[in-house]
Amino acid sequence: MKNFLQKIKFDQWKAWIYLSPAIVLLLIFTVWPIFNTLRMAFWNGYGLFKELGGELQFEFGIKNFKWVVGYGGFLDCLKNTMLLTVLTVPLSTILALVIAVSLNAIKPFQRFLQTIFFLPYVTNSIAIGMVFEAMFNIVGFGTSNPSYGIINNILGVFGVDPINWINAGSGYWANIAVLVIYIVWNALPFKILILLGGLQSVNKQYYDAAKIDSTPRLRVFTKITVPLLSPMIAYVVITGFIGGFKEYSSIVGIFGDDMHAVGGESLNTMVGYIYKQLGENHEGDASAAALILFAIIFVVTMINMYVSKKKTHY
Amino acid sequence: MADKVLTTMHEKDMQKVTVAQKITKVIVMFLLYAFLCTMALIIVFPFYWMIISSLKSTVEYRLPIPTLFPREILWGNYLEAFTAANLGRLFLNTVIVGLVSTILSLVITVLSAFAFARLEFKGKNALFAALLATMMIPGELFTITNYVTVTKFGWLDSYTVLIVPFLVSVFYIYLLRQNFLQIPNELYLAAKVDGTSDLKYLWKVMIPLSLPNLISITILKMMGAWNSYVWPRLVTSTDDYRLITNGLRDAFTDMSGQANIPVQMAAVTVVSIPLFLVFIFLRKYIMKGVSRSGIKG
Amino acid sequence: MKRSIISLLLVLSMLLGTVAFASCVEGQGGGLGGNDAANKVTYEVPAEGYDGSEVTITFYHSMGAKLQTVLNNYIPEFNKLYPNITVEHASQGDYDGVRDQIKTALTAGNQPNIAYCYPDHVALYNVAKAVVPLDSFIESTIPVKDAAGNETVLGFTADQIADFIPGYYAEGTAFDAAGTMYTLPMSKSTEALYYNKTFFEKHGLKVPTTWEEMGKLCEQIKAIDPDCIPLGYDSEANWFITMCEQYGSEYTSLDKNGHFKFDNETNRGFVTMFREWHQNGWVTTEEIYGSYTSGLFTATEGQKCYMVIGSTGGASYQQPPQVDGQHLFETDMATPPQIDPSKPKVISQGPSLCIFKDSNPQEVVASWLFVKFLTTNVEFQAAFSMASGYAPVIKSVQSNPVYQQWLDAANGFTNLTAMSVKLALSQSNAYFVSPAFNGSSAARDQVGILMQSALVYKGNDVDAKIKKLFEDAIYECEYAAH
Repeated sequence: MKNFLQKIKFDQWKAWIYLSPAIVLLLIFTVWPIFNTLRMAFWNGYGLFKELGGELQFEFGIKNFKWVVGYGGFLDCLKNTMLLTVLTVPLSTILALVIAVSLNAIKPFQRFLQTIFFLPYVTNSIAIGMVFEAMFNIVGFGTSNPSYGIINNILGVFGVDPINWINAGSGYWANIAVLVIYIVWNALPFKILILLGGLQSVNKQYYDAAKIDSTPRLRVFTKITVPLLSPMIAYVVITGFIGGFKEYSSIVGIFGDDMHAVGGESLNTMVGYIYKQLGENHEGDASAAALILFAIIFVVTMINMYVSKKKTHY
Repeated sequence: MADKVLTTMHEKDMQKVTVAQKITKVIVMFLLYAFLCTMALIIVFPFYWMIISSLKSTVEYRLPIPTLFPREILWGNYLEAFTAANLGRLFLNTVIVGLVSTILSLVITVLSAFAFARLEFKGKNALFAALLATMMIPGELFTITNYVTVTKFGWLDSYTVLIVPFLVSVFYIYLLRQNFLQIPNELYLAAKVDGTSDLKYLWKVMIPLSLPNLISITILKMMGAWNSYVWPRLVTSTDDYRLITNGLRDAFTDMSGQANIPVQMAAVTVVSIPLFLVFIFLRKYIMKGVSRSGIKG
Repeated sequence: MKRSIISLLLVLSMLLGTVAFASCVEGQGGGLGGNDAANKVTYEVPAEGYDGSEVTITFYHSMGAKLQTVLNNYIPEFNKLYPNITVEHASQGDYDGVRDQIKTALTAGNQPNIAYCYPDHVALYNVAKAVVPLDSFIESTIPVKDAAGNETVLGFTADQIADFIPGYYAEGTAFDAAGTMYTLPMSKSTEALYYNKTFFEKHGLKVPTTWEEMGKLCEQIKAIDPDCIPLGYDSEANWFITMCEQYGSEYTSLDKNGHFKFDNETNRGFVTMFREWHQNGWVTTEEIYGSYTSGLFTATEGQKCYMVIGSTGGASYQQPPQVDGQHLFETDMATPPQIDPSKPKVISQGPSLCIFKDSNPQEVVASWLFVKFLTTNVEFQAAFSMASGYAPVIKSVQSNPVYQQWLDAANGFTNLTAMSVKLALSQSNAYFVSPAFNGSSAARDQVGILMQSALVYKGNDVDAKIKKLFEDAIYECEYAAH
């Protein structure tokens, strides 16, 4: 017992030594900026340039939060953020899981296919943005002679009429569908990489046992692979939710800075709002919105952690 | 190694299975390949786009209906890409920043993840949750504050400023912690009994066992250097320290801010090649899996 | 639940822990030299002018590699005059990149000395009182001796001021009622009407000078080629702002109590009219069409348009396509249609230059000398115009023989760039200036969105919809400027 207590004590300082480089850097480059965010959020009407111009006296209050919530498009931002997260995280996780497991299960062409799945990592982000618009775009929609992007051409092969995905007069749900596909597509390579890495760390003994018992594949998948991979799945889901709530660049990538289709409904998100406020010299409002978003993500992550604690097998 | 054992076992089993099972297996395999090929096509499309765009003329690139294959292949774009920008220096910077930050970041991540996964200390869970919480605030707001900080430190225009602020990623600590948790604790306790030091245990057992994930982190970290644009632009004022995407994005734009995209894509493709080769090399380590001898005992 | 509370507390305690760190970093912010001169819009030029001291000045811009080469060729020319001034420069991507960069740099007092700017950006920097008002420099008669031994004055001579194209020069005064000059023009583009000359000649069509003629012409062209969209207009925001100017109706004002005046009868009227035009299939825009309207203009098959109103900066994209070495048609250019052709109004775009305050007044003076060099040196303005396809800002460039030769090479098949610059120079009496204030960029964004949404509206209650769109746009503007 005494020995055990000594070990714990030893662990204490050892742990802090191991953590010290990370903690020091985080204090400087993450926690201090967060502190600054708090300062700006609770400073009524804060604007960075106003402060620099010497026009601003510190005034504590929640006026910035009121401005954020009082914004006419605030509920839209919230709705879009939630919707995109709830749709994309499960979809991308399941797809990535199936791809990773399949990649692991095949023999011929395994190397070739794996190499293919690595190509996104050498594709510069500039290229990725441009592709998508070209795929869904309809040039001259509603005119006598429109030309359709690749997606509508593929749908045409199956006899589906062209759908107005992103162009003038397109509907909200068509817009959302494109965003979901784009976000899932964007997230896949990363998730496949992580899950493949996780699969390789899984103890193969379990599989060997299953082989001997000639357990059906689906059963092996649900009863062995998923549970053994659960720490990685939990990781991918939790970080996916955190990233999903911060969705922004994909929308700008497809719909431009206005963040809606021509004549369409707003596709703005919380981070879109934050960016806009930063651009308009309202750092106070941006900070307040960031804290509101933080509160939402925090609650969702806690729920996630609680669920994964129950379902994760270590 | 393990794969081989697995296949031989598998083949022995195959002799016993019935015809019906064989047919199911063929169908399953067929579906598997069909699925993988479709997904591969979708995933690889931007890469393909990058290549064909690099061979088009600006006029063809701007066509309302994009062509899936260039009508006229313009190798001249590559020549122009080489002559237009100072990509050599930028590429070297990217390699230096990528390598140094990956190595340092791996050390920090491994140590932290080890502490969170294996050591018992007061406030561990709370600290870990706090770390996770820092991921939840949109980082856009950090830029200005961090800029002021690095200016105070006198770090502008240096490799330091490109490397140090991003060394710690809670994202990767969390990933590796999850991985470490998968490794049975018994091994660690056994090592303790044998009097093996922590660091030796980390080096001999934990690191080999989590090699696939460490390689994943390496890839992601390198890609970070490869794609980073805003921060290097902010904290450096000359090409002496700027990174590759700065050159790729900025060198080929005309007055009205429109890029000569075909030439830009040619440059992107050229600088992708070495990176691609490195990844092919690393892929081997992710896919090879790890010797299980440590666990099987 | 308990854990989450603990971790929240921990986050908070970490935050408090950094207060100590905070207090030492907090002392920044005094980077801007002229904070005390809060309300003045003058800048005290050092009495000795440029004292010949060694200074390094930095210049942020968004030039690609090609234009940087031009700049690099002329910095040695500048150094022949002022060998002790070292000029460093760097591209920050695009115009917004320059703005974002400077915005961040200002917080640490790291701003460059000179930057590319648009009026909206300067209005933003002005909130931080970071930009040097130029009047005192322009008027300065302090003598300056350059290394070649020439004695000149620090400011502009009357001839130099008269040499600037007036509309471009006036842009520098868009910031306050007093007309303080904050920027000098560097290089400019404008909007032009590109048309398919071959098609026009074949069908005996006349190039429209008014919007009324334009409407009739669209109808005519639609009768000739029912499949076409006669006119493409690239930028909806430019369209709206230019129409306000042509009608003399209000757009925005510098009045602090109500910046946004564009919700009025006249403006709703032309938006309603252009909506009908779009619904008739007469006109489309880049956003609505879904691709560059130049693509429609230069299409070799399928749907076509025969006129485009777009930036002179993109002139080369309006060049006719070649099939088997033959140009399919000839492009020509004209001033865009007007409400009153005797008083034409055309928007001007492209970078100006502003100078930032600095603790070392000699850096500011040196920056002024460099800005003066860039904006008044005929050879540089000529070389930059030829490389960029943008118009020079001083008239005397046109008498430069090399430049003249370049302009003379203009043709409607392969050299539309020179032709566009020629046009830009010829309509130099038509440029106007919109007020620039903190929030003026929001107005630009919002009227663009308004225009798009109105044009594509297909419902029956047009008036109500347009009224609503104007109200929404005003709301967004007011919110952005709160």
